[in-house]
This record gives sequence, structure tokens and C-alpha cells, in this order.
Amino acid sequence: MTNLFQRSVFLFFLLLSASCLSAQTNDPDFMQSVGKIYVAVGVILAIFAVIVLFLIYLDRKLTKLENQIKDHE
Amino acid sequence: MVYQTWWKALGVVLLVYTFIAGLLIPLKPGISSVHPSNAATGEEVVLEINGYNTLFTRSGEEVRAWLKMDDAYALGASGVEIVDDQHIRARFYIPAFLPDSGRVRDFTLLLDDPFNGACVLPSAVFITQDSIDPAMGKAQWVNAPIKGLHANDGLSFPFRNILKESIRNTYFHVPLWFAMVFLFLFSVGYSVRYLRTGTHDNDRRAHALAVGGVLFGMMGLVTGAIWAKNTWGAYWSWDVKQNMTAIALLIYFAYFILRGSFEDPEKRARLAAVYNLFAFVALIPLIYVIPRLTDSLHPGSGGNPAFGSDDLDNTMRMVFYPAILGWTLLGFWIASVVYRMERLRDRVLEFY
Amino acid sequence: MNMGKEIWNLLRKDLMLELRMGYALSGILLYVFSTVFIVFASFIQLPNTVWNILFWVVLLFASVNAIVKSFVQESGNRQLYYYSLVNPVSVLLAKMAYNVGLLFLISLLIWAGLAFVGGNPVRDPELFLLAMFLGSSGFAITFTFVSAISAKADHNSTLLAIMSFPLVIPILMTLVKLSANALGLMNDTGLQKDIILLCAMDGLLLGAALILFPFLWTD
Repeated sequence: MTNLFQRSVFLFFLLLSASCLSAQTNDPDFMQSVGKIYVAVGVILAIFAVIVLFLIYLDRKLTKLENQIKDHE
Repeated sequence: MVYQTWWKALGVVLLVYTFIAGLLIPLKPGISSVHPSNAATGEEVVLEINGYNTLFTRSGEEVRAWLKMDDAYALGASGVEIVDDQHIRARFYIPAFLPDSGRVRDFTLLLDDPFNGACVLPSAVFITQDSIDPAMGKAQWVNAPIKGLHANDGLSFPFRNILKESIRNTYFHVPLWFAMVFLFLFSVGYSVRYLRTGTHDNDRRAHALAVGGVLFGMMGLVTGAIWAKNTWGAYWSWDVKQNMTAIALLIYFAYFILRGSFEDPEKRARLAAVYNLFAFVALIPLIYVIPRLTDSLHPGSGGNPAFGSDDLDNTMRMVFYPAILGWTLLGFWIASVVYRMERLRDRVLEFY
Repeated sequence: MNMGKEIWNLLRKDLMLELRMGYALSGILLYVFSTVFIVFASFIQLPNTVWNILFWVVLLFASVNAIVKSFVQESGNRQLYYYSLVNPVSVLLAKMAYNVGLLFLISLLIWAGLAFVGGNPVRDPELFLLAMFLGSSGFAITFTFVSAISAKADHNSTLLAIMSFPLVIPILMTLVKLSANALGLMNDTGLQKDIILLCAMDGLLLGAALILFPFLWTD
């Protein structure tokens, strides 16, 4: 049950941070400048952010797993 | 497959190619704005034209300009003056009557020169006529046939006035959706295999692929929201495809919660596989049927759930198809890492 | 014993149980009327567009409440007993048939309740009845099957809502469109297509449920 709880909290923060990221890129003038290239930049940054957050998630799960193995030994 | 390297390497190579080609290939020269955008009949108008990615000074003073009403009627510029690489002035004499019965008529601006090639801005200028007489307009019209257009031979992506450089998102947003669908399809496939064979490994694979699919779905929604805000004006436009992705994500969140509520691995695997299949069946109308019935802001909408052929040119296809494969392979790589971790965890649990 | 007779007997058993424990049905009745009352107490003047959507939302929540217990009350021992006696598919079909009837009844009640308090905006009753029937069969098929899954877990009422709401969204969207036509809010020429689509979705879900149910049953 704690696992489920942690997972939902994690997902919540994942979505929250992703929406923060898109909110920061909200300034219309900036986004429309230089032929809207910052829209592409924002999209790539968003992908990067989600992948990094996913890595953190994997990292935490692996740490837990390693601790379990350590406890066993 | 899980431990082989070649397909992961292929995915990375394709993605590197996608990033390099997708970000470095320039856009075709285009027209970003025109001032003034309104004119009246019977007057001489000087249009200040802003080019995008254009090099007018290298055109050899051969820039030609037209205001095109339809395929039959076009107005040639009486003079074109090059200010600098991005600016030109085009002088048009608009006749007293238009060969059209509407009060206001939109005209497409067309530029052509040997260096930059032809550029088009649809609905660039709106011409208002005070007195309407189409017959008179047809008689008086000095037609300048649009002939001998030059092609831009350089490697480039098409210029779309509302998209501009954000057309590159075709390689960073659209393939995420394809990758998500592939991952979910494979997840369902492994659920079927689990129900047929009862091998626990198939369930682990189905779960890992669902995790990958959800990750790609979330990336697709976030990137789509950023792109939508800057082209359609809102983060969320209640578009069919957005709804479909959101519902698919909700279903798979429910799938994870369902998995989390069982202790017994056999029971969990069986019920999760059954739900996965049932949810997939429920999603079929959403993916294939409803998009055909309703309008969508996405390209290729109104009768076609896929990407329309008008939206991609050959240069874009050269990047788009490798991008789909690359992102999909990345998704399978992520899913395989999750799968290996889950397997390790199950093995650790066996110790106790 | 052939399947039709099996289904009929199971259906009668469900009905008898329901009637004997009258509180379940009266609970749903009370739910419908209190919801209708709250809706009108807060809206007073109800625009037809809102009426249309509220009807389906009230029905959606009423159906979750009505169906959540359809597999829960069958405790482990009793299920084992059925398992030795009858075909699992006929158990599912009996439950679904019972729930389709129940939901159709509930939707009639909601219609009556909403019409009684706030007037009846339905212009095309046949179409509305058809939408109600297709909707309650779609809801009943989905919810019955998902409740069979969630009955195996703890916290099953929340699980049922979480798991089944995303699945009925396509049905719900088509239903809202169909009933908007019945209320005269929209004049759609492609009505036939929507009805066929709804029938196809119901059939698809029913088929999937029939194929998958034996896997749920094998405890």
C-alpha cells in the first residue's frame, strides 16, 4: 500500500513539475520570437524533464531493491 | 531481445539523426508578414513585405511579386524594390473593380526569384471594393499569369505561416504518440500471451511496456500542450486526440492501481491482464472510430485519424519516419529496463 | 440444462435476492431522488444543455452505486458452489441482463424525477428512450465486468469507479450527442452513424467480456 501511495505522489509531482515547466514558457512574446523556435526548444526541454524525472523514479526503486538485498545478506 | 544491444544502438543512432537533421535543416524562405494587409480598389498600394529566411539581395534584382485572387486572376507588381535580405517593397496598382461579387476579397501574396524560390502567404491582403461589378472587373483586369516559378533546391523544411520553426516539433511530439500506441499494443499482446500460457514473465513484460507507454503518453501530452498553446492559443483544446491520450493514461493509471491492490502475484497478473485487454477493446472506438466522425484541430482530421499526406513533404518524411522508429525503440529500451528491474525485484522477494 | 434456462434461473435468483433485501433497491431510489432534489435546489432554472449532461452524470453515478455490489455479495463459498453447477458465461450474462434492466429502470426514474421537478425538455421520446437503452446496456456491460474484476480486490468500490469511468467516456460522449438531438439542442444528420457506433461499442464490450470472463472465474 505504501508503494502505491508513493507512486501516486510521485506521479502527482511529475505532472506538477511538467505543468510548471510549460507555465514558465508562457510568455507569448518570447515564445513567438525568432520564428517560434522556442516552441521547439520548450518541447525538447519538456521531454528531457520527463525523462530525468523518470530516471529519478527508477533510481529510487533500484535503491530500495539494493537495500533489500543488503538486508538479506 | 531484452539483452541485445543492436536495437538500442539503432534507436540512439536514429534519434541522434532526428535531433541533428530535425534541428539543423533550415526552413524554406517564406513570407512572415505584410503591411498593410488592407487595400481598396482603384488605389496604388505599396506592400512592405517581411521575408523569413530569405536572402533578397542575392536574388539578382529579379524578384517578381503577384497578388493572386484565384487560379484565373492574378495581379502583377508594377515594381519591386529590395530593401535588404529580409525586406522588400512591392508596388501594386489595384483596378477599380474586382472580377468578384464579394465586398471584401482575400488575396494570396506570391514572391518568386531564382535564388530563394517561390514563397506564398495565403490571405495576405484583403481588398475592399466600394462598387461591385464583376463583369466590369473581368473586362478591365490586366492579368499577370504566374509562370516560370523557381524551385528552392536546398535541403529545407516547408515554411508554414502559423507554425514557422515549430514545424520541427513534428519529430519531437508526433512520434511520441506513435511510440505510445506501439508500447500499449505490445503490452496488450503480452497480456494475451499471459492469459494463453500462464507464464508469469509475460505479465511482467506487459506491465513494463505499460509503464513505458504511460511515460510516452505523458511526454506527448506535455509537449502537445506547449505546442498547442503557441499555435491554437490554449494548452488544452478538448481535441479528440488529446482526449484519447488522456483517457488512455487514466486507464493505465487505473491498471497500476489495480496491480497495486493485490498481494498474490498470480491473481494480480491474471486480473491485470484481463483488465488490460478489456480496456484496449474499450479504447478501439476512441482510436479508430470517433476521430473519423468528429472534427479535430490536428492535421489529417475530418475523416482520417492518421497524418494527412499534405502535411509532410519528402524532406520531412526523411526525418519523420526515422524519428518514429527511433522514439519507439527508445520506448522499448525504457520498458526493457523496467522489465529487468521488476524481474530482479521478484527474485529478491523469492529470498524471503 | 441448456444455457437459456440457466441464465433465466440465475436472473430470477438475482431478482428474488434483490426483492428480499429491499434496502438495496430503495437505497438507489433514494439516491436518485436526493440527487434530483439537490440539482434543482441549486439550479432552480435548468438550461436544457445542462439538463442533458446532468441526466447522464446522475445515471453514471447511480449505476456505479447499483452495480458495485453485483459480484461482491457473492462470497467465495457461494461462487465455488455456482462454479460446480453452471457455466461461468451464463452467470455473467444473467448479471448483465439483470443490470441492464436495473439501469434502464433507474434511468426512467431519473427522467421522471427531472421531468417532475424541472419540466420535460425531451422533444423526441423514442430517440431518448433508445439512447437510454443503449446507454444503460453499455454502462451495465462495462460496470458488471469491471465489478467482477474489482470484487477480487479490497476497496473495490473506489477501484470500480477508477477503472470503469475512463472506459465509458467514449460511450458517454456519444450518448450526450444522441440525447442532445432528442432534446432538440442539435440537429445532426449523421444520427444513424451514432446509433450504429453505440451498438457496435456495446457489442464489442459484450464480446470482450464474454471471452475474458472465464479467466476471472478460475480461482
